[in-house]
Amino acid sequence: MKYWPYLLAALAVAVLLPLWLAPSGYLIRVLTLALLFAALGQAWNIVGGLANQISLGHAAFFGLGAYTSTLLLINFGLSPWIGMLAAAGIGALAAFVLSFPTMRLSGHYFALATLAFSEVLRVLASSWGSVTGGPAGLSVPFSPDSLLMLQFKSTRPYYYIILAALLFVTAIFVAIRRSALGYRLRAVKESISAAEVIGVDTARVKVIASVISAALTAALGVIYAQLTYFFDPDSVFGIISISIRIALITILGGVGTAIGPIIGSFLIVPLEELANLLLSSRAAGLSQLFFGILLIAIILVQPRGVLVLIRNIVTRARRRKPS
Amino acid sequence: MAFIQAVLDGLMIGGVYAVISIGLTLVFGVMGIVNFAQAEFLMLGMFVAYFAWAYLGLDPLIGSILSFIVIFCIGLVQRTLIQRVMKAPPVAQIFLTIGLLIVIENLALLAFGSSFRSVSTSYQTSSLRIGPLFVSVPYLAAFCMAVLSGFALWLFTDRSWYGQAMRATAQNPLAARLMGIDVERMQQIAFGLGVGLTAFGGAIVLPYFTVNPTVGSQFVVLMFTAVVLGGLGNVVGAVIGGLAVGVIQSLSALLFPIQLQNLVLFLVFIGVLALRPTGLVGSSR
Repeated sequence: MKYWPYLLAALAVAVLLPLWLAPSGYLIRVLTLALLFAALGQAWNIVGGLANQISLGHAAFFGLGAYTSTLLLINFGLSPWIGMLAAAGIGALAAFVLSFPTMRLSGHYFALATLAFSEVLRVLASSWGSVTGGPAGLSVPFSPDSLLMLQFKSTRPYYYIILAALLFVTAIFVAIRRSALGYRLRAVKESISAAEVIGVDTARVKVIASVISAALTAALGVIYAQLTYFFDPDSVFGIISISIRIALITILGGVGTAIGPIIGSFLIVPLEELANLLLSSRAAGLSQLFFGILLIAIILVQPRGVLVLIRNIVTRARRRKPS
Repeated sequence: MAFIQAVLDGLMIGGVYAVISIGLTLVFGVMGIVNFAQAEFLMLGMFVAYFAWAYLGLDPLIGSILSFIVIFCIGLVQRTLIQRVMKAPPVAQIFLTIGLLIVIENLALLAFGSSFRSVSTSYQTSSLRIGPLFVSVPYLAAFCMAVLSGFALWLFTDRSWYGQAMRATAQNPLAARLMGIDVERMQQIAFGLGVGLTAFGGAIVLPYFTVNPTVGSQFVVLMFTAVVLGGLGNVVGAVIGGLAVGVIQSLSALLFPIQLQNLVLFLVFIGVLALRPTGLVGSSR
């Protein structure tokens, strides 16, 4: 495979780069967030990319993960690593339950239903104050640097953990895409009735994919909680800040490809941070406005993402050369 | 008695929800696009009516007509944005309207600031007494305006050439084109009309609602629930859905704490999508 040298080089850069950056600095924090959202996009890609089921509610699983591990930590002192397993289980269960009402939906209807589901959880988290802390949110109890408790003073260890998480989720994505499940999902994407005719149990295939995707998203929610120390219902169940951003990153980079979410995340997250840095002190809403305009511009220029855009430009340039 | 009062209040508010939802369902019916930014046009309509009250001294109920006109005109820019993704996959359509939502909300935030504004009218706190029941005057006034606008819309779609051409476009764009109807133009007008109606609905609730740039998010859920209840694209369905949502909301306020009011709507929403994605009203298409 001719891609291998490039991938190894990119990985070497990703591993070595933080050694030159201040371990708790701003830059490494932006990179860490970009890695996290790339991993989230990759998890979303399993359902959104392979089966073309556009979920606008992945914040549901993300938030469930953050709440599960943090509540286990606060109430029982359980390590977030165990919390992560519990979170993945609960995320999977939630996706399984959600699949009953959404199994036969697609397109706009599926997007609306998943959006509503994440809002249900946000409202529950806000109003069930005795357990979830209500609108005020939860703080992760402080403990000194320890890998066991997944808590560090500097950002660098988080960077490596999230990099590992991204590699793990990407490996799962690639494995699924190459497996029989991946082919069945793509059959669903092309035509659900044709897939049924050739004997694909489309409901089963979609449920399996969304359960895997949700479990991974919930586990990433745990890492997010440990990274930020604090979260509230609006930040982890956010429609725009989580659900839409995850989907957008994947779509921007190139939906259904393994490299897509990574490209998308490393474009969107730093751009947004830059906009925040430059604009948010000027006026409230300016950086969000920038995000919205960017979104519209991308859709109008090339709805299938940057990858396709670059490919088109390259092929056009190649065609011109011989003449 | 509290029950009947709640149903009555629900119907009054539901009438306004019906107009708001007609706007959303009209856009879907004619263009086949779910406009996630619809509630932002409601917010803009509220601001137009607010400024008409603040600077021109117009009562919001009159200002609502101005809201309709202004937002209708803004809606015509649809041609340069949404028309371009009409043939694109749903993903592109969803994200374009979401982008529009973010842009409008934040432009409003920049232009108007985040403070809450409200109008004051002479009838704001008065209510009528019918036997043991009370009818709040601003609710009643908004309800009457909603009924009037619904009637006007019916006249337009049923009697005018444009209205009939628009319904033809909704039924079958290809056949409409063969009959010499400019389909793109009809879609443009339908979009303007849709967002204009929703803006109108926002303006008439101004006497009992405060406005700020994020007010749209309070209407998104009920608007979508009403439309899905009635079947996406079904105007009569949206009216019934709107009334039903008003009553559901009002009744759930009797039973649950205020924070959980929307939760009931969400569950109804997901339930309806799961069981009858084509809506509870009318036949499936």
